[in-house]
Amino acid sequence: MSHVRIDGLTKRFAGKPPAVAVDNLSLEIEPGEFIVLLGPSGCGKTTTLRCLAGLETPDEGRISLGDRTVLDLREKVDLPPNKRNIGMVFQSYALWPHMTVRRNIGYPLRTRRVPREEARVRIEEAALLVDCAALLDRYPAQLSGGQQQRVALARGLAARPDLVLFDEPLSNLDARLRDQVRAQLHELHARLGFTAVFVTHDQSEALALGDRLAIMKAGRIEQLDTPERVFEEPATEYVAGFIGMSNRIALRRAGEGWTVADGAAVTGDLPVPRAHAEVAVRLRPDDLLLRPAEEEPPAQGVGLAAEVVDAQFGGRHMDVVVTIADSRLHARAPLTGAPWARKLARGQRVTAWFAKDTALYYDADGVRTAAHAPAAVRA
Amino acid sequence: MTAPAVSAPSPTASPPPHPSRPAPLTRLRRQLPRLGALLFLAGIGYLVVAPLVGLQRLAFENDTRGYSTAFDDPDMAKTLWTTAGLALGSLAIALVLGTFLAWAATRLPRRLRLLRVLPVLPIVIPAVASVTGWAFLFSPRPGYLNAALRRLPWWNHLQEGPVDIYTLPWIVLITGFGLTAFVYLFVSAGFGNINAELIEAAQVNGSSAAGVFFRVTLPLLRPTLVYGGFVALLLGLGQFTGPLLLGRSNGIDVLTTDMYVAVSQSPVDYGRAAAIGSPLLLFGIAVVLFQKVILGDHSRFVTHGGKAFRSGGRPSWVAVAGIVLYALVALALPLAALTVVSLSAFWSGRIDPDGFTLGNFRRVFQESGITDAIVNSLTTSVISVAIALPLGFVAASLLLKGRRFRIIRAAVDFIVAMPLGIPAVVFGAGFLLTYSREPFILYGTRTVIVLVYVTLMLPFATRMQLSGMVALGDTYLEASRTSGAGALRTNTEIVLPLLRPTLAGAAALMFVLLTHEFTASLLVRAPTTQVMGTILFDYWSNGSYPLVAAIALVMTLVTSAGVFVAMAVAGSDIFEKL
Repeated sequence: MSHVRIDGLTKRFAGKPPAVAVDNLSLEIEPGEFIVLLGPSGCGKTTTLRCLAGLETPDEGRISLGDRTVLDLREKVDLPPNKRNIGMVFQSYALWPHMTVRRNIGYPLRTRRVPREEARVRIEEAALLVDCAALLDRYPAQLSGGQQQRVALARGLAARPDLVLFDEPLSNLDARLRDQVRAQLHELHARLGFTAVFVTHDQSEALALGDRLAIMKAGRIEQLDTPERVFEEPATEYVAGFIGMSNRIALRRAGEGWTVADGAAVTGDLPVPRAHAEVAVRLRPDDLLLRPAEEEPPAQGVGLAAEVVDAQFGGRHMDVVVTIADSRLHARAPLTGAPWARKLARGQRVTAWFAKDTALYYDADGVRTAAHAPAAVRA
Repeated sequence: MTAPAVSAPSPTASPPPHPSRPAPLTRLRRQLPRLGALLFLAGIGYLVVAPLVGLQRLAFENDTRGYSTAFDDPDMAKTLWTTAGLALGSLAIALVLGTFLAWAATRLPRRLRLLRVLPVLPIVIPAVASVTGWAFLFSPRPGYLNAALRRLPWWNHLQEGPVDIYTLPWIVLITGFGLTAFVYLFVSAGFGNINAELIEAAQVNGSSAAGVFFRVTLPLLRPTLVYGGFVALLLGLGQFTGPLLLGRSNGIDVLTTDMYVAVSQSPVDYGRAAAIGSPLLLFGIAVVLFQKVILGDHSRFVTHGGKAFRSGGRPSWVAVAGIVLYALVALALPLAALTVVSLSAFWSGRIDPDGFTLGNFRRVFQESGITDAIVNSLTTSVISVAIALPLGFVAASLLLKGRRFRIIRAAVDFIVAMPLGIPAVVFGAGFLLTYSREPFILYGTRTVIVLVYVTLMLPFATRMQLSGMVALGDTYLEASRTSGAGALRTNTEIVLPLLRPTLAGAAALMFVLLTHEFTASLLVRAPTTQVMGTILFDYWSNGSYPLVAAIALVMTLVTSAGVFVAMAVAGSDIFEKL
């Protein structure tokens, strides 16, 4: 367990023009903290992780683990991975096929010259932690995917490294197993309290596991915050989109009210300062609701004219795709007490609406507009 | 650069307080890997390039006298045409046959899957053995098959023939058979890389079996065919055994045999020999360069996942018949001829089972000249494999991971490929020249044979281990490094054990190629230091045919034994790794 500090990390890949994978990134990680790097592919999250591991040499920057500087390019310090006292769990498990589970888990102990007797005990402890004690004498090829990833987890943790790195470790597992291993990992972290950096592109994984999330875009950290704050108060439109607010409605001020792109007026006002003439509204699909075209939205709601493209039955509601001013949005129409929604058909005109405080409003630069109630009040 | 280190703090924000940092590596420590890579390059560079440079220096000496004597010779044009004809003719035969056999191997019924090995087996038979075997069959007068053919009513008036093995078309055909196994290996590997779903997609979309083969399979194989074709062409240009044993007596000369004559018959003329070898040298270098430019970075060829190639249809009896027929003609016929001659007291067109004797084999194991040659072959081959494997490992590691040393890496890549492009006869002549004079006088020792063998094996040792490492991928190594293992432990505990099948396969292939080695051996051997191939040639020149046949069979057995040992060690599918 140790404090991790990254300063001004920059990594460029050769090419024309050179691609900047990590762009002057700085990050501090508290001892025992679980940090998740979240972003789409190509945002630099894996490169950052590999620079932390020492598998990739950045072009600029400084990294320290605990009280040791492991990378400082100005001082020409760049410790190889084996000198950094880390553990790493790979997406493809990377269990060595010619070694038994016991030898795989014991490998980091052997490299650290842990005495044989102590190593034996610690291997069994590590295997117990991940429910693999019965598998110790098998070869990786004899294990299922979930078992392999649990063994890989045990190998990453066995030597109690200063820092454990996870490179999308759950994405090769099927959905059910992924949830199981995720829960197990969360529990392990709560129990052992290791410092961890976890890379993923899956937002639910990030929300579930992270003490803090770093949402990355083009080699930079767009927002660094607790899962709750990232989920409820995405600082930028990019983060909002990535964290599930996939509906985007562009609105323009017209006199006292607002209009959509094709000029149709919107019912209701927005909690946006007068200085902004244009805003982008971000909404989760759950929060965009439908009513028959002739009905007005409720008092605190903002209503827009929409046309149905497709409707799917979703149990207690209908999942509906609508267009509003040529942009496609996902909406939801509850079925309880509203039987009309069962018969939604392509081309039908409806009123789409959302409660003012369920949406977030971003200016032309994608930055949150100032004046509206903090999300905490909503709950 | 900018201000000296002791000047005032830089105007940028003062660096945040950082924890203690270890002393930076000393300059020397950091340069150590580069120095090592450079030393390695110098070593293999000397091994490969010095003999070639030595030859060229002689060829250019005295106003390019070597070139003028070689190319003013009125027979030179004919020799060049014959060389090209032999190379292209045998290439065409090998491409068609090799591709057909590789296709046939994918269409075998499940029970007969083992037949896949048959097309590779001719590699186990030494070229000298199969060429002499063919001669025993088709020599105009005493050839067994010729004698049999003369019993047919329309040929029964002939005194000799109808086939004359000592003519160019037959030399081309036999050389083509020899190259077929190589093309088969390349194309089979190519088939293995084709995703089965691509074939199935073509079938589902309405292509017939033939349509799939010509519109999907062949185009997908094109890179393999081009590469395999170039290798076969180089091998064809460097062909030596067939032309020497069959063509020399009839005045059919190719560049390689001309070169051999220039350095083996007095007056020895290295300059002329070097000049004769130059077209081969230049073409070889051109092909190697072309291939480097076209293929470029190896890491692009990492293939993951996907379904392996499955035969695109039902088992075909044409396939079975084709493979069996090929094995009969290319394997069984020459081996049978060798066996019959080796058991006979003398070689005539008639087979006389009552006169069969083991006397020839007894002589093989009694004559010290022959036993010495067998021991020499085995020891030099084993030692050379033991040297070439680690050299290849270093070269492959450097090619794969030495991104920091761009120039050294490119040079190693090129040097390691050269022995594949340049015929063995050129290397043989170069080594003979280089190691018969200061500073290394090694002529007549086994050391010089080992040096030639190691040089010739560099491409195989490197390429096979390189492809093994590429297939291994980076993750296993990264997992080891992040587990706290240094480079040494990662290599010994992770890379080498995982590469074991590759290493065994490479060792087996090299052992086979070296115990067969005839061309370079013939040039660097001394009358007192012989190997199996050269002693066989001496007895062939003397006309002791039954003894030749016995030696050829012993050679074949020795190589097969080596392959089986390696198979036992690798415990698996060596021939697929070839």
